[in-house]
Amino acid sequence: MPENRLSGPLAVAVSCLSILLALLIWQILATQGVLGKNFPGSVKTLEELVWWLSDPFFNNGPNDLGIGTNLLISLRRVLIGYGLAVVVAVPLGLVMGISRIADASLNPFVQLLKPVSPLAWLPIGLFIFRDSELTGVFVIFISSIWPTLINTAFGVSSINPDFLRVSRSLGASQLRTIHKVVLPAVMPNILAGMRISMGTAWLVIVAAEMLLGSGIGYFIWNEWNNLSLPNIFVAIIVIGFAGLLLDQVFGWLQKRFDYQL
Amino acid sequence: MPPAMISSPATAAAVRTFPDAQVVVEAVSKVFQSERSLLSRLRSRPGDRYVALEGVDLAIEKNTFVSIIGPSGCGKSTLLNLIAGLDRPSSGQILVDGERIKGPGPDRGIIFQNYALMPWLTALANVEYAVETACPKLSHGQARERARQYLSMVGLERSMHRYPKQMSGGMKQRVAIARALSINPTILLMDEPFGALDALTRAYLQEEVLRIWENNRITVVLITHSIEEALLLSDKIVLMSRGPAARIADVIDLPPLRPRQRSVIDQHPDFLAIKIRLEEHLLNETRAVEERT
Repeated sequence: MPENRLSGPLAVAVSCLSILLALLIWQILATQGVLGKNFPGSVKTLEELVWWLSDPFFNNGPNDLGIGTNLLISLRRVLIGYGLAVVVAVPLGLVMGISRIADASLNPFVQLLKPVSPLAWLPIGLFIFRDSELTGVFVIFISSIWPTLINTAFGVSSINPDFLRVSRSLGASQLRTIHKVVLPAVMPNILAGMRISMGTAWLVIVAAEMLLGSGIGYFIWNEWNNLSLPNIFVAIIVIGFAGLLLDQVFGWLQKRFDYQL
Repeated sequence: MPPAMISSPATAAAVRTFPDAQVVVEAVSKVFQSERSLLSRLRSRPGDRYVALEGVDLAIEKNTFVSIIGPSGCGKSTLLNLIAGLDRPSSGQILVDGERIKGPGPDRGIIFQNYALMPWLTALANVEYAVETACPKLSHGQARERARQYLSMVGLERSMHRYPKQMSGGMKQRVAIARALSINPTILLMDEPFGALDALTRAYLQEEVLRIWENNRITVVLITHSIEEALLLSDKIVLMSRGPAARIADVIDLPPLRPRQRSVIDQHPDFLAIKIRLEEHLLNETRAVEERT
């Protein structure tokens, strides 16, 4: 991070100013018709945003949910799928980092499956679960498992060997060494992996939900069918803020638990 | 030196030969084999071999301070790792208290050059981890008390809640000393413990180690490349030849002058003679290493 970064009230002021400027340019482009006829300006979008936020949790049937309700549906899917992914990825990553055999046998799957778009799993999920809710969770699980898994395994394999030698020289059992030395040593890598995984999960859920029938992603798809572009911008802003908040949580966790920081 | 004459002795014979020896290194060789690729294994080609130690014999008496000195890259640290049980000899054996060692154990405390403190633990927690691991029967409170006691011994009673990154190199090494001694080892193994420190801190810590050792004499094996350090601290200096296939060139007994002042090394004629001998040997070995390439 550069030393000469702006900070404090000045940074806030500059940020606010640049946002205002962007909104202004957006409004001008829209009213001039540069982006196509009837393209919503920033004023219209902000009006809609205020309207949606004034009553975020209404429920008038599956195609007319408040934006907060939709957001909570998406968040629930993400947290369940992501939670399961972490619960699987951390122990598996530890095993891959510790055992060369486990590494050699699991690595082909990781390498092969990691670059696959999570959406490719949608039909598989729908076929297996016959349920959009479970399919959403499944897709989140399979897309967010990789960064945590890879980071954990990498962290274990790059532990300072002196820590392990100290533990071994004291006569510590393998289990104790893993619990007391390996796990805390890898904590920064695990958290970094979890942060990337959370980002991926939040990216994927929007796309997945367009095909699933509820959640913030479906909201966008629904508003596209209604040809309501301002509402889509509202959803984009809400998704952005939710993602930012989730990432901030991890920023805080890393500050708290990363001994290198 | 009797150890050099032993070719293939049995355990019992070794114990008989050195009744006072606590550590006996017998005809120990260590060969490092580089990992071979699958292809070269299928063609049964041998991988690269590096003979670090060859036919090393050494007996270390109980409660003596022994320094192992040699040119860099001569396998001093390899020998220490073997005694520590962190590595196994390719041939030969190592006995501690008459028993062949099978691995590391809390009878041997180790101090590493780079401190090897866990950065996520405070000084106190680092020492506590050692005590709790080596003495699982102690209660949490007893372990903590013991850790405090040893940190006080190295003069860190006021800094025990600091994390390693908040400490200087000298402080970190003092924590490492406290950690190694807190498990009440009968042998202390030190692998160039002061190598990473500046000259003044090094001198201070050498005297700390000397003071602690005078109060509680246990067997110490110190790996060093500093002649002054070896002369200041040791009862006996083991001189190693250059690697590869390093062996023990000489074992020198120092005059039993204790407690020993730093000035003695430069003034006492016996010490001076030994110093010259050591310098000559190390210089010759180093020259041979440097001019080989």
